[in-house]
Amino acid sequence: MFDISLGDEGEVLVAGRLDASQADRAQRFLDQIPALRVLDMRQLEYISSAGLGVLLKTQKRLMAAGGGLKLINVNRHISEVFRYSGFDKLFEVTALDDRAGDL
Amino acid sequence: MQRYFPRTFHALDDIFAFTGHFYECEAVPASIRNAIDLSVEELFTNMVKYNSRSPQAIRITLKSLNKCVEVSLTDFDAERFDSTAASPVDVEAPIDARAPGGLGLHLVRRMVDSLDYEYSNGQSRITFRKRME
Repeated sequence: MFDISLGDEGEVLVAGRLDASQADRAQRFLDQIPALRVLDMRQLEYISSAGLGVLLKTQKRLMAAGGGLKLINVNRHISEVFRYSGFDKLFEVTALDDRAGDL
Repeated sequence: MQRYFPRTFHALDDIFAFTGHFYECEAVPASIRNAIDLSVEELFTNMVKYNSRSPQAIRITLKSLNKCVEVSLTDFDAERFDSTAASPVDVEAPIDARAPGGLGLHLVRRMVDSLDYEYSNGQSRITFRKRME
């Protein structure tokens, strides 16, 4: 299951599993937010390449407008995916336990 | 353990329920479950995408061998197409040079310990193994 919502401080909260069956829904939600800054991934258990595509497209849009996305509270599995895909260099990423060395 | 799944991305929930049941039955360590799920998803969605005209279901077989998990995905009524031989992705490229897509197989190669492709009698089979830590 997957859920995406807007937090109290304008951040986007994602939860569950961002897989290929949920990527379109995630993209549609993020496309509605013109100046997104933070994506809180505390409740996100899993991400696949489809989810990475959503993040990449969003980041390109935001950077073209002078902004950029910060990904916070990233778990160990997702940190590993980011490292293997080079996404740890495309985004500002903070691990779930706030130890940057885990990335 | 073996099941057939319809060739649609919406089968992923059922696929993960299937792998989850296998993990519990075989006491697969939690530390490798997401890596196996991700590899299954990437290979399954590739079969769906690159043989989209076929109505055949895709078979997923899960086995617990000596200290490793073996997973096979079989696509029936398929033309020979070794998706495991795709070109490498430049993960060091700057964001302007990055395009969505192409990362699935790259991630699989990093996540599993072996990856093999076989083609015979119109059937494509991809098998990977992941060591249990």
